[in-house]
Amino acid sequence: MQTMALTQVSSNKCAGGYQKVFEHESSELKCKMKFAIYLPPKAETGKCPVLYWLSGLTCTEQNFITKAGSQRSAAEHGIIIVAPDTSPRGCNIEGEDESWDFGTGAGFYVDATQEPWKTNYRMYSYITEELPRLINSNFPVDPEKMSISGHSMGGHGALICALKNPGKYKAVSAFAPICNPMQCAWGQKAFSGYLGPEKSTWEAFDATILAASYTGPELDILIDQGRDDQFLSSSQLLPDNLIAACSEKKIPVVFRLQQGYDHSYYFVFSFIDDHIKHHAKYLNA
Amino acid sequence: MDLSEIRGRLQVITEEITASEGEEENEEAEEDEFVMVRNRNLSSDPSEPPDAWCSDCRVPTHSKPREHTHTRHRVVSLSNATQEIKSELSKCSSSLAEKITQMDNFISNLEEIFITVEENFGRQEQNLEQHYNDVLQSLSQRFKENSAALLDEKKLKLETLYGQLLNCGDVLTASKELIEHAQELHRCDNKHAFLQTVIPVIKRMEEFPQDELELKVGVSLDFAPPSSDLTEVKHMMDSINALPAPSAPVMNPQVAISASPSSLRVCWSLFSDDTVDFYELYRRQIFEDINIETLQDASVLRVKETHCVVKDLLPNSQYEFWVTATNTTGISPASEKAVYMTVPSPPVIKEHECVSCLEAALIRWDSGNTNPVESYTLELYEDGETDNAVTESIVAIPTCECVVQLQPWKRYIIAVRAVNIAGASEKSQPMKISTTGTFFHLLKETAHPSLCVLDDGFTIIYPDKDLSLSDMVFSDTTFNSCVAVLGDLIPVRGRHYWEVEFDDWTEYRVGVAYEDTQRSSYLGANATSWCMRHIRTPSRHKYEFLHNGWSADVRITVQPLCVGVFLDYDSGTLSFYNTHLQQHLHTFRCCFTQNVLPCFALDKPGTLRIHTGVPTPSYITHTQA
Repeated sequence: MQTMALTQVSSNKCAGGYQKVFEHESSELKCKMKFAIYLPPKAETGKCPVLYWLSGLTCTEQNFITKAGSQRSAAEHGIIIVAPDTSPRGCNIEGEDESWDFGTGAGFYVDATQEPWKTNYRMYSYITEELPRLINSNFPVDPEKMSISGHSMGGHGALICALKNPGKYKAVSAFAPICNPMQCAWGQKAFSGYLGPEKSTWEAFDATILAASYTGPELDILIDQGRDDQFLSSSQLLPDNLIAACSEKKIPVVFRLQQGYDHSYYFVFSFIDDHIKHHAKYLNA
Repeated sequence: MDLSEIRGRLQVITEEITASEGEEENEEAEEDEFVMVRNRNLSSDPSEPPDAWCSDCRVPTHSKPREHTHTRHRVVSLSNATQEIKSELSKCSSSLAEKITQMDNFISNLEEIFITVEENFGRQEQNLEQHYNDVLQSLSQRFKENSAALLDEKKLKLETLYGQLLNCGDVLTASKELIEHAQELHRCDNKHAFLQTVIPVIKRMEEFPQDELELKVGVSLDFAPPSSDLTEVKHMMDSINALPAPSAPVMNPQVAISASPSSLRVCWSLFSDDTVDFYELYRRQIFEDINIETLQDASVLRVKETHCVVKDLLPNSQYEFWVTATNTTGISPASEKAVYMTVPSPPVIKEHECVSCLEAALIRWDSGNTNPVESYTLELYEDGETDNAVTESIVAIPTCECVVQLQPWKRYIIAVRAVNIAGASEKSQPMKISTTGTFFHLLKETAHPSLCVLDDGFTIIYPDKDLSLSDMVFSDTTFNSCVAVLGDLIPVRGRHYWEVEFDDWTEYRVGVAYEDTQRSSYLGANATSWCMRHIRTPSRHKYEFLHNGWSADVRITVQPLCVGVFLDYDSGTLSFYNTHLQQHLHTFRCCFTQNVLPCFALDKPGTLRIHTGVPTPSYITHTQA
């Protein structure tokens, strides 16, 4: 195993525990990556389960920890929350900073196969392999107890990570996820850029397609969606497609359309406690 | 009788025994030395001191070789023999000590009897003396009376006789004068003068004897002895050995533990000097309702003792008792009346109306008595406890129901007693309660007329064939538009869990409602009910979580066929779960201002089955931190 040097960037006491940010050299992404980690009070005396939080387009590790208000509930349930960045940064790839929905801040949690992205843009492997390894070896965690959640693009990331790795994540939930990226503008732009024109290769990173062929331990999926989300009405999220696939496949989903809420972190903040409780049910079982 | 002397002797005996025990111990010590010596001498020589004991002959002997005389006997080692004999001795001495104790008791008994006998005889002597004095007094009185009468009579008779005597003398004198006058005339020679005077004289002489006929004694000469009436004295003499008629006995008030549902132990007492051959105990039942008080005959019992167990009575009823005492002399006046009461009949627990949860149970029962009782006592035992000791009892319960606090995850046996002043009834038939979860019954009186509750009490059916409206009987408590029924949840504001099972086509509403929720509106359509609703559309299953006519917009991909309903008053939540998937479906947040009841409705014909008493699954309790 390579040396995994962690550099603490910040540490703040929060809800009885500590909200910290670390930086490390990622072997998967070939760049320096930051991630945020919340350590509940319980982590001082024992091992805790880990909830991986995947943020949405344009976000860094900061958005979730400053806006979602997850720490109090995490402290109550004794859950460590790891919130990584949303893409490699500073890789000097041509065009990486050109648009907000592709490149920097828009890794889409896939392993890119196309030049010039394929060297660095391996967010799927980073999230499912490298990062858990790093966390497991540096923090008081129970490696058997992990779960995943996310918002928007991160919701998509959370769903595919769970559906592609049956049994790896004890629970999964999402806020306003991009449910069927192959069918929406964001997804098509990202997938064609990272994965190439061959659509069959896209299917491996599309939650709706993955759900339709899912086999494995029962997943209990909680999805919250704001009814007044502009991206819902502009057909970027397409939750109905996922619900239909899950209904067909008898994958248990509770999908809650929350009246009056939009796509922002105000929406995430409003229901984060329900999600942490949902994860706690499986992580602390 | 010198009791203290006997005491002293017994004391001496006891001391002797103790002393001999001490000697025994000394002997034992010596024997121990013997054993040590024997062990040093390995060869066995008959001239050596004996090392064994023949328990048949009770003499010391040698074990090796065994002496001829003891070959067939039981020979044991000296230490064993000592042990045996010692235990025998201690047994004897302890039995002797026991006898001494008995003797002591007997002596103190005798002392008591001695004193009592002495007292009794003293009293008897006093009585006798009193009686004889009475008799003597009475006799002397009679003597005085009789002798006075005798003197009176004597005086009267003598006076009469004396009068008669004087009278006779007078007559005698007059007769003599007449005779002398006649003789004078007879001697007279003057014939003419003679003839002139003789005629009146002859006339007087002829008249005379007519006056003097009374020559009898004027008084009776017989002496009639005075008729001395001694019957009273005789009676007094007789009554020296007879006793006076007793005075009225005194009824004792009823004492505790003297009554049963059908019998009473009635007691009375009498004044100490009275002697009584038997008592007659009268009783009459007292009715609270004055109208019933017809002329009821009092029943009578003849009793020798000053107490009587009266049987064949009615439970929880009042009886008045009074008593008369009778002896050979006569019957006493009746005592005052005393009211006694029988113990009530045991209550009957209404198992089908008892409900429970993890930490409490609501027990309901029938009084079991027609008259009101004073209160009830509830007793609870933890099931499985060997001695069945009462672990808790709740007393002075005024009504026929009681909420009792229990420990979770235990099994209890609960029984009830009815109590009045006479005491507590027998225990009711016990009921078992397990605190594994919330257990309730359906309130059939709230059910819509179209809704059937099967005999199991937990399956409700909305039959295909609708009743015609005229066949439906509505009351104030029945739901009249929503085909619904309420459950009888224990009014304990803790956590409650139950499950509802359905077929996949069943269209239902399950949740909770206030007890007074509008019977004319649909569950969830008002502010007094919260429910999950399943609607079947041609394309999909639709779920609503309804309160006050509004539902959260929730899509559920896997249709629940069994829904867990979790009510938590503390956090003010009502949550629904797909029990098969352990999936959380929805949570209502509301601080329930009143107690709520489970509610169940069928929107279309179908069946629904309720499971109560189910433990709350850990996946629910876990996340309710």
